[in-house]
Amino acid sequence: MSRETAYRNNSLLGKIDWLILIIYIALVTIGIATIYSTAYNPEHPSLLSFSEKYGKQIAWVGVSFFLGFLIFLIDTTIYQKFAYFIYIFCLGLLVIVLFMPPVNGARAWLGIGSMGIQPAEFAKIGTALALAKFIPSLNIRTLDSKSVLLSNIIILIPMILIILQPDAGSFVVFTAFLFVLYREGLSYDPILLKLLRFLGITRLKSTWVGNHFIPLLFIVIVISMAALLTSNNIITFESLPGIELPGMYGVLLFFFSVFLLLLILVLIFTTKKDRSKFLLILIFSLGIVFSIVIGVDRMFQSLKKHQKERIELFLGLREDPNGDDYNRNRAMAAVGSGGLKGKGYQQASLSSVEANHVPESETDFIFCPLSEEWGFIGSGTIVLLYTVLLIRIIVIAERQRSSFSRIYAYSVATILFYHFAINIGMNIGLAPVIGIPLPFISYGGSSMMSFSVMLFILLKLDSQRIDILQ
Amino acid sequence: MNLQSRKYVSIIMFLAIGIIYISRLFYMQVLDEYWTLRAAEISEKRKLVIPPRGHVVDRTGKLVVSNKPYYNLMMIEKNIKDLDTVALANLIGWEPIKIRERFKEIREEQGYDKNPKTGKRDLPRYQKVRPYVFVKEITIDEMAQIAPHLYKFPGFYEELSSMRYYSYPNAANILGYVSEVNQQEIDADSARYYRPGDNIGKAGIEKYYEKELRGIKGVNYIVTSAMNNELQPYANGKYDIKAKQGDRLQLGVDIELQVYGEQLMQNKRGTIVAIEPSTGEILTMVSAPTYDPNLLVGKRAIQTNYPKLLLDENKPLFPRPLQAEYPPGSIFKLLQSLIALQEGRITVNTGFPCNKSLVGCHNHPNARSIIEAVQMSCNPYYYQAVRRVIQPGVKKNIYADAEYGLGKWAEYMHNFGLGEKLATDIPGVRPGLIPDPNYYDNLFPSKRNPYGHHRWAFSTIRSISIGQGEVKVTPLQMANIAAMLANRGWFYVPHVVKSIGNKGSEKVFLEKHQTGINPQHFEPVIEGMRRVVYEAGGTARRARLNDIIICGKTGTAQNPHGEDHSVFICFAPKDNPKIAVAVFVENAGAGGTWAAPIASLIVEKYLKREVTEKEREKYILEANFMGKTTKSNTANE
Repeated sequence: MSRETAYRNNSLLGKIDWLILIIYIALVTIGIATIYSTAYNPEHPSLLSFSEKYGKQIAWVGVSFFLGFLIFLIDTTIYQKFAYFIYIFCLGLLVIVLFMPPVNGARAWLGIGSMGIQPAEFAKIGTALALAKFIPSLNIRTLDSKSVLLSNIIILIPMILIILQPDAGSFVVFTAFLFVLYREGLSYDPILLKLLRFLGITRLKSTWVGNHFIPLLFIVIVISMAALLTSNNIITFESLPGIELPGMYGVLLFFFSVFLLLLILVLIFTTKKDRSKFLLILIFSLGIVFSIVIGVDRMFQSLKKHQKERIELFLGLREDPNGDDYNRNRAMAAVGSGGLKGKGYQQASLSSVEANHVPESETDFIFCPLSEEWGFIGSGTIVLLYTVLLIRIIVIAERQRSSFSRIYAYSVATILFYHFAINIGMNIGLAPVIGIPLPFISYGGSSMMSFSVMLFILLKLDSQRIDILQ
Repeated sequence: MNLQSRKYVSIIMFLAIGIIYISRLFYMQVLDEYWTLRAAEISEKRKLVIPPRGHVVDRTGKLVVSNKPYYNLMMIEKNIKDLDTVALANLIGWEPIKIRERFKEIREEQGYDKNPKTGKRDLPRYQKVRPYVFVKEITIDEMAQIAPHLYKFPGFYEELSSMRYYSYPNAANILGYVSEVNQQEIDADSARYYRPGDNIGKAGIEKYYEKELRGIKGVNYIVTSAMNNELQPYANGKYDIKAKQGDRLQLGVDIELQVYGEQLMQNKRGTIVAIEPSTGEILTMVSAPTYDPNLLVGKRAIQTNYPKLLLDENKPLFPRPLQAEYPPGSIFKLLQSLIALQEGRITVNTGFPCNKSLVGCHNHPNARSIIEAVQMSCNPYYYQAVRRVIQPGVKKNIYADAEYGLGKWAEYMHNFGLGEKLATDIPGVRPGLIPDPNYYDNLFPSKRNPYGHHRWAFSTIRSISIGQGEVKVTPLQMANIAAMLANRGWFYVPHVVKSIGNKGSEKVFLEKHQTGINPQHFEPVIEGMRRVVYEAGGTARRARLNDIIICGKTGTAQNPHGEDHSVFICFAPKDNPKIAVAVFVENAGAGGTWAAPIASLIVEKYLKREVTEKEREKYILEANFMGKTTKSNTANE
């Protein structure tokens, strides 16, 4: 009996990636426990009170498990077959939702009241499938700018529809697909070369910047964001009173320490021959990083007062003129006050719904009650779980035999990463306040179901990776 | 192009963010204290608990001042919804327009903080989410009417609070009153105990013993919601500070004697001050006319009653025992005798003829000794005796001699507690006046003709010899003189509080003041005082008691605007005295007629707890001198 037949004869469950499933169940359970703690209503103490958020969340999880069950029954070929159809269906929903009455100023909800869904959440799956189907049809080696533009348009259409709602959070999340394009070799090089040719430079066949445009852009954005977020801070020293440094120096110091660390690594692990090359790269990158930080800082400081205020408002650095206090500060106070071991389950003094010092503490800011109640032990565990989950998905992606499955897996990884990085980042002051949920933990039917379906499809594709060759 | 290696871009990105986030979380949660403090600032409310003020009991342990419960109507602006101003005004019995004004008033009361941006004081301290007192001091009965309807006014609620209650409608001048602290008082308090709306003692012992009576404010740390609703005590109250009631004060005052004294002084203007000589404790201090201290309890009552009391022509708010400065008149002769004897200018048996050409006098035999001089209150005798004190012949120049003599004399008078503030434990004491050489050097009888240095001698200032002229003393000082005489030469500064909690009285009141007069010089003077009451030639026969020997001295202050003022000081019993009394009745006539019998009734009431001299009591109770107005007064006999 060949090995393949053995796989085939095994039950479905045998081929499931158990690590991912366990992390998924852990995160979902933590989510329910946190929602129960945060939104606890003494009048409905039962975990299964469906009038309360914890009861509802359990219902959503139940529905998600059921959907997962269905996904495992359905043959994976249908995703490939119906990828474009699903994508167009999602776009249709995104169009319809624009004609719905707005909830909290955004036309993001389809349906009535609590039974509504957010098409933007499901559009991520649709887009992932569409990309997974579209990209393998391209010949990477003879890539032209038309193909690059077309794959970008697949991402751009839902983005435009989403910003019309408007939903800035989901809009930003869709840029995660750019990393998928990067992994698949869909660089912006053809466009850059066209541009260079237009300028009269015809010698080049390919450029390094064009090939690695996406990660470079990402790094520049992250560094600029760090510089912006710290631009108005002042660093003081308790032991050295009177000495004040602009916050920018903190960022510079951080990158300088990274530089030193890398320098040591280079000195240890490189041969004499390569060393000068690596050192040159290191010093060059440090120079670029420093010029970005200082440049952004100078630019921000040279802005007029009202312009500065607008940027600060966007980043959540400034008190919302209509609100009581700025959410970020409250969220950071809740997280930071957790200490090592936390205040104990159901002991959150800032982020319980009752106290309400932290807004949206069961949805976008659910990391607050979690960190406040479980302290660094809890919050660190969450970060660890996500990091392991994300890396595991990349490992899974790379073991796929079909491009479709790999591209889909990469989409799942980067989407989850964006949600994780931005959501937790805004709770700890490292990302602007953009209202997106923490996958599997935040309360909400649409996000619960869409992330679950997204993950279950991945698990299903992975479990059949031997069969899927295309 | 090896695309597969691009997976490391993702993996490194995920790992980098994971590491950065974990480091950041470790820093925020474990290393940095800042966010913990910030969280406390956001979620914990420091709620001050105002302790009840300390109780006050009299020397026998009867409760004189306590607290009674009241309600405040509180308001949190943020919780107010669709306020029906007219309905609320009806409920609390206000004019509807006052409701809006009150909101404005509360805002203003909180004041403003300095705005760091503009440098001006324009940042309001008022916060919409904080509770403020909307109506103060609602009685329990009033609240019973209001409370059932309060549900119609979200944002308003009642809060229990306590206010002063004075069990006796008496002793207002001793007890003083309590009222809302004003901005100057808040600013002056370096300990920053007070906040707007707090109460503070404004007069009497309520003011003097404010620190002891106010107690220690409690602090409750409460976890609050963003809507400022109180959720639960922080850390189960582990860090709370319990409010501590103020100390209990025990008065030296005998409240029943005080009540009786005020009864005797009804329809009269004047004072009674009684002191226990051995301790300096004030047993009674009557300032007539007086008022019920309960009239000045609570902001509303004070707002209506205080102006009325202030404008009353009989000046009930004027603390006569401490602030009325009268020429002492004949009672001054007791002190002149002591000084002359101590200085050796006369002996016990020195006699002087009653020479009416020197100074006026009534008809009586010549005084052959100091005893008779006191008994008969002979003016010419003291004219001559005091001249020997002021002009002792120590210096050749009579002006220099008078300067020397008066200097000595003034020193004795200061030792008697005159001419300087007798710093008792009720604020607002006046010093009276004992002229010294410096005083006359600078005195301007008219603007063009000052006495000047070495421009005056005894003849210029002779009226002080019989307690007239520039000399002024307060009734408290008179009573202290009586106590000093009873002690034969020493006194404690008179005070009303016998003990603060269990700690005894303040240290300053345990300090014995010596007068510098040898005890033997007192005996003739005191014998004279006995004769004033018990001998045929005495002026205070109406003060006689059957089984207690009272030693006293009358005085009569002439008053050009009406009847004379009646003055009497005494102590009793003669040996081992238990009480010293000074009585001053304005516009009542001779000292022996009115002040003396009042003093004797006080003595009898205190020593025997009941009054046998019913006739005398009736005679005093029926007396009414209120119609006889007075504007200024002089003393003579």
